[in-house]
Amino acid sequence: MRCSKARDYLSRDIDGLLPPDATAGLLVHLDACEECRSFREDLQTGRRLLAATEPQLPDNFDWKLQLRLNQALQQRAGETAYPWLEDEPATRRGAWWPAFGAAASVGLAAVLAVAVFMGPQRGAPVMTAAVGPAPVVATAPANEPALAPSTTATSPAASLAGRSDRRSLFGAPRGGGLYDQGIGRSVATGARVAQPGAVIDRGWSGNRLEDLQTIQRLRERNDQLLRMVYQYEMQMRTLKARLDTTGTPNLDTGDNH
Amino acid sequence: MNPSRDNTPFEDPRQQRAALRDLRDEDLIVLVQQGQKRAYDEIVSRYKGRLFSFIMRMVKDPALAEELTQETLIRVYIHAAKYREIARFSTWVFTIATNLVRNKMRQRSRRPLTISLNPAPEDDEMPVDPADPRADTSARIEREELGRLIAEATAKIPERYRVPFLLREVEQLSYEEIQQVTGLKLGTVRSRINRARTRFRLLIKPMLKNETLLAELEEIEARAAAEDNRPATDE
Repeated sequence: MRCSKARDYLSRDIDGLLPPDATAGLLVHLDACEECRSFREDLQTGRRLLAATEPQLPDNFDWKLQLRLNQALQQRAGETAYPWLEDEPATRRGAWWPAFGAAASVGLAAVLAVAVFMGPQRGAPVMTAAVGPAPVVATAPANEPALAPSTTATSPAASLAGRSDRRSLFGAPRGGGLYDQGIGRSVATGARVAQPGAVIDRGWSGNRLEDLQTIQRLRERNDQLLRMVYQYEMQMRTLKARLDTTGTPNLDTGDNH
Repeated sequence: MNPSRDNTPFEDPRQQRAALRDLRDEDLIVLVQQGQKRAYDEIVSRYKGRLFSFIMRMVKDPALAEELTQETLIRVYIHAAKYREIARFSTWVFTIATNLVRNKMRQRSRRPLTISLNPAPEDDEMPVDPADPRADTSARIEREELGRLIAEATAKIPERYRVPFLLREVEQLSYEEIQQVTGLKLGTVRSRINRARTRFRLLIKPMLKNETLLAELEEIEARAAAEDNRPATDE
């Protein structure tokens, strides 16, 4: 047996996948070849090294997981309750145009505001309101069916924040989020919301008992959220079934997004 | 999936946890589908370390590895209803993780942040020895140093070999499971694992001659064995 063949066999042998007849041939080769014996030892030591150096998770992993799960569930609940308000895919070609337009309008508004307030005609503030895009008013509650919860964000801050915030069911737009990094479409698209006083009052304390309590509160909250998501999904299915039977044409519920 | 209540026959949470510990992963996910949140906690405790270990060795960035581990577990929770027992649960979980890692690596390669003359450009992405807020014992330092050396060696294995290699060596998935996770043919899985092992051996060869490192390895293994033998305590 050649060494290259023996090493292929060795790799299968340490996984216990070498047939008995091949094992016999391999053992004969190993008796005669010191290089291949050393190869086998190295493979085994390599495995031990990998096992011994397993990376360790940070202490607050569970807490962060529950926080992110909470955010994901909130978003899912929002998407389920108001599917027609779901954002366009962010990767769509030209998706940056609306953002660019909005930024340009805001910039222009700021320049004009400075001109109006600092310039000679101080008494004409009307200009500022007329230039920028009109703030998007959260009209969602008026158009929504009865399943819309009463906790929908309707504060002025939420209204100004634009359409993506209308997906939030639980409070004001982002600003105080404890974990703001995006983690993919289901979690990161749209606005991320903080929950004032709803889930956690403080972050990771380092105190074992306190932190376990925080994690437990988050778990309970997430359990409630999941139930809510399923409740919305069921209601949405009922609503769609009713619309299908009444033959209402061309009602886009956002499923094609 | 009916998440209506935690319908478990056990009143005592400890009893419940102990009962869940004896279940297979596939049974646990069925309980999650029925709305038992404690079953999900058990899945998290079984998989968080394994996932982090696998992802960390793929992306080399602790923060990103943590983020992707969390995302994998979140997807398991949210999409639990989609799991069917046509494949092992571990295969399903690692398929999610592998796809996430690949997407992230593709994103990274599409927008390189720096131009480097270093032949191993990924090395630039590794933060330099992040400070560990936890206990600064010599055992931990030893382990971390050895871990760093192994991580460097692992990172030098090309990605197409590294994925099946880590799924086999670290996660101990079977060849068939690796085939399902990666979508490769069985023969390709076998040959890639073989090539990765040969490459890894060459990379760690200098370490294998280092008596101090080997002694450290033995110490680490002895400590781990002692910890395993310690009686478990419930939280």
